[in-house]
Amino acid sequence: MSAAANKKPFDAGRAAYLALNIVLLAFLLVPIAIIIVFALNPTPFISFPPVGVSLRWFEKFFASSDFMNALWLSLWVAACVLVLSVLIGGACALALARGNLPGRTFLTAFFMSPLMLPAILTGLALFQSYLLAGIGRPVWGLIMAHTLIAVPYVLRTTLAVLHNFDHRIEEAAAALGASPVRVFFEITLPLIRPGVFAGGVFAFIVSFDQFPVSLFLVVPKSETLPVVLYNYMKFDLDGAIAAASMVSILLALSVVLAMERLIGLKAYVKL
Amino acid sequence: MISRRSVLRTGAGLAAAATVGAPAVLHAQTKTLKITTWGGKWGDIMKATVLPAFEKEFKCTVQADQAFPFMPKLQASSKKDPLYDVFHTNSNEQWSSLTEGLVMDKITAKEVPNIADVYPYAVSDKIVGVTIFTSAIGLGYRTDKGIPVPKSWKDLADPKLAGQRGGYLIPVNSLGQCHLMMLGKIYGKGLQDLDAAYKALEQLKPIKLVDFTGQMEKMLLSGEVSEGVIHDSGVLRYEGANRQPVEFCSPTEGVMALEQVLNVTPGSKVKDLAFSYIDYMLRPDVQKLLAEAVWYSPANKKVKLSEKYDARLLTTPEKVATLIQPDWKWYNARKDDIDARVTKILKG
Repeated sequence: MSAAANKKPFDAGRAAYLALNIVLLAFLLVPIAIIIVFALNPTPFISFPPVGVSLRWFEKFFASSDFMNALWLSLWVAACVLVLSVLIGGACALALARGNLPGRTFLTAFFMSPLMLPAILTGLALFQSYLLAGIGRPVWGLIMAHTLIAVPYVLRTTLAVLHNFDHRIEEAAAALGASPVRVFFEITLPLIRPGVFAGGVFAFIVSFDQFPVSLFLVVPKSETLPVVLYNYMKFDLDGAIAAASMVSILLALSVVLAMERLIGLKAYVKL
Repeated sequence: MISRRSVLRTGAGLAAAATVGAPAVLHAQTKTLKITTWGGKWGDIMKATVLPAFEKEFKCTVQADQAFPFMPKLQASSKKDPLYDVFHTNSNEQWSSLTEGLVMDKITAKEVPNIADVYPYAVSDKIVGVTIFTSAIGLGYRTDKGIPVPKSWKDLADPKLAGQRGGYLIPVNSLGQCHLMMLGKIYGKGLQDLDAAYKALEQLKPIKLVDFTGQMEKMLLSGEVSEGVIHDSGVLRYEGANRQPVEFCSPTEGVMALEQVLNVTPGSKVKDLAFSYIDYMLRPDVQKLLAEAVWYSPANKKVKLSEKYDARLLTTPEKVATLIQPDWKWYNARKDDIDARVTKILKG
């Protein structure tokens, strides 16, 4: 057969599909590229085209005690939120999927409700509640508030895994003499792990980037990175903002890559 | 039966509890003053120099909140135990706060002795609390774009500046609100002539709008805007080693006042300390330090600034007389209607 005969005919549908994907990818990635350009541009204001390459804004970011304290606080809060939301969200998902609870649909909607409320209102309501309760604005209050917002993410991803869960595996283990505790830790938990971990990644990122809720709950000298960036931006709109954004993106990416090493990204795709 | 070991254990426990508890007791004896303050260069100077010196002199701790928004947080806290003792905002927010009973209506020299030395504008009937500094709102422009040097507010309407002029989102920025009132004065019967102001605003289109005050200086610096409404501090700070091709114009019709106002919350538990803080902020040495750091005009008449600052800032009765103070009580009462109207004019 000739080479001309082997040549596939032009597929307009496939070309359109590819073009659409390229456009979507560009839509997602171009803002990150712009941030990189601004972070490396040495001018004391955000401008385009860039006039050179410099690390001065990264130096400013890492040399600033305000930024560094905020970065560490954000990481600490996000780590606590990850653990708490995995425990609470995972347990809620199991109870909802397995518990034969009355009003299950209502309870699911109830647990998901923090996602439906504007976060700024959640922040304001919690702020007022904390003040009325006389507890002020402690860091643990901020962690609880972030957990409230993060739990629905773990709940959703875990419920998705539990939806396709084959109960016969657990029944087989029980029939072979495994105790309920052993069934949970050796059968149930490993099988729902991808959903719980994926929810945990979302919880970490949601907490790390959380702004509207934190806005009302941070106290002087204990402010999270998004709040510090917002206030910084009101007075100094320079490349340090872009450098901070780059660091945030790299940190979020590190978390995702760490999770990939732990459970593999294919597990997320299955969801 | 009480054993020797249990007695020793109890004693050790009590000693440990006393040791842990001691700093808390000491802390409780130290008064804490809760204030709001700005960020940026102002915040750096406050944290590095001004506040530590105040804490040392008055043997207290200052908790300075730089995280906006201040007013909703104050509103949400109890009036009997407010989140802040000293409320630092621009004048428009002080008036809104007064309407809700969140701040005191008047502060006099009886409570704050240094008030006796301030310019009249700092405690005028347009002010709730006391002004510690002011900026002049006028026009900033690029010196390298070949545009005519502005002299009047009307110059911003020059057709050559179409797409190159800058202003603010009026509903969220007090400089934008000041500009709107100034349009009423320039093109109509006065600051409160809204119809004339709306008509003039229409003529300024196309105009680039920003929400944060600090954004306008960056727009000027990057050349995205060739001429725009701005406060003098946003331009004057780019001198010497920081020199940039930007300049500030005080229009002949006068400049609008952008006051930095301090006030005390009526429910403050440390009111005396709050008054002492305001008095401290009005001291000539503190005023000089901050004025020269951020190019703000000091409210205290006795402040002697270095020559280059004295030449550009509002430091004499004659220069201070060019300040126009808006009636924020009047403006705030109409704010919703004004917001709706200007949004309609400037949409798109």
